[in-house]
Amino acid sequence: MECVVQGIIETQYVEALEILLQGLCGVHKESLRVHEICLKSGPNLGFVASEVRLLCDLEQSEPTWTVKHVGGAMRGAGAEQISVLVRSMVESKASKNVLRLFYALGYKLDHELLRVGFTFHFQRGAQITVTVSSVSKMLKLHATDDAVSITPGIQLVEVTAPATSENYNEVVAAVSSFCEYLAPLLHLSKPGVSTGVVPTAAAAAASLMSDGGGTTL
Amino acid sequence: MTSIFLLTVGFLQQIYSDWMAPPNVLVCCSGHKVPRASGVRRLPSHFPATNRRYNRNPKKSKTMPLKWVFNWQPNAGSTVNSQILNEVSQCVESMNGVKEGRWKATLTFYKPMLRDQALAGEFPREFIGISLPEQPNKYYFILRVNKIVLEADSSIQLIMEKLQSYKSRVALNFEGFQYQLGDFQLRVGKVVPTHSENLRGIVMEVEYLPISSLEKSKLIMDEFVDIWQDAVSKRSLPGHFMHIEPNFSDYGLADHYTSQHTAVQYAHVMGQLIATVQAVQAGRN
Repeated sequence: MECVVQGIIETQYVEALEILLQGLCGVHKESLRVHEICLKSGPNLGFVASEVRLLCDLEQSEPTWTVKHVGGAMRGAGAEQISVLVRSMVESKASKNVLRLFYALGYKLDHELLRVGFTFHFQRGAQITVTVSSVSKMLKLHATDDAVSITPGIQLVEVTAPATSENYNEVVAAVSSFCEYLAPLLHLSKPGVSTGVVPTAAAAAASLMSDGGGTTL
Repeated sequence: MTSIFLLTVGFLQQIYSDWMAPPNVLVCCSGHKVPRASGVRRLPSHFPATNRRYNRNPKKSKTMPLKWVFNWQPNAGSTVNSQILNEVSQCVESMNGVKEGRWKATLTFYKPMLRDQALAGEFPREFIGISLPEQPNKYYFILRVNKIVLEADSSIQLIMEKLQSYKSRVALNFEGFQYQLGDFQLRVGKVVPTHSENLRGIVMEVEYLPISSLEKSKLIMDEFVDIWQDAVSKRSLPGHFMHIEPNFSDYGLADHYTSQHTAVQYAHVMGQLIATVQAVQAGRN
């Protein structure tokens, strides 16, 4: 399972966010360029419809493929009280013919996306990953070179951390705590709960850009 | 004893000549150009145009010894039994095979979970998953009809469970003992359903440790198999070991041996076992 929160930021403030993340994480960013293919089961397959994502990492010299299944979110009164979404998630690296296999099994292409940006991986009470990316759609099938941004001028920020049924409380606390540091630039919430951009972003970004992240926000 | 010595010398000579020979020109996928019809849109480079481009850089693959997988083909009118397995094991030991330990591979047949069974023909009839002892963190899927072999992390099994679109129909264990015979490793084992001891077949893996090239090792493997078949035939068992090499290039696999080759071989051996059982049943009817 994983803990996840999402938010959005205007592209003009992404550089400031990068400086802030660099300062907070103490690690270098990694470039991100992922072709995400979302497949859904055909109409007759499975008693309920199912969905699987195939991620192709285009940053590698030889692209690598990952199969990702995102399951349902944790429910109940406890889950509603916390600001982080806890959901089941399973990933598996796979060889590059994975798309052919799923097509042969009766899965159909639902949509595909291209995510371009950067990530930070670091340990801070949990193994946290921050992903900042612009999300594009493809006008032609698999044409990653002709991708068009879905939300021009806006980038998606996602904070995730792997968790287990034993430690998810600690992971939620670690993610929540980390999100507070980013609050002047963006607000992070559970996926699907849109909170928009924050009004303090411009001032916070200006401050970060002027002193390279030395200011305590 | 003398004949064994001579055979060993023969093998060494073969290995030596194999190493000293000029490198063979291998039919490598990287050099294969797929003609494109004019007007056909080019896919991005991370999309394999055909299976043949699958393993474009075999040098990056983990080097591993080559192996052939055999299944026991009973003579007409006879069936497999544990006595044959014992005799085969004794045969390996009589050739000075050193028993090293147990091994186990598991093969699972999956079937689609369909809302309308009448549409079953639209989905693959034979979808197989295999776990191999040599790659405990990996799992392999094979669709023989579509000529697809997929290598994935073991967690792909959990993903399949969560998708609830295919479920395990039957699972079989291939299990037995491993023996070392000079540069060869032999694994002899029984084929049994996971929750029973009903013997369904007998398999044997012959692994040649120094070489990973299918083409380069063919001669020495053939020679070994001849000697092996000769030794087994002296015991007058009601059947013989059979090896039918799948056309690996159909699956996009190159000459350089990988665990995916092993997975494909197991899927084909399973096909032969099923064909044998069906032939016996047809004979009874």
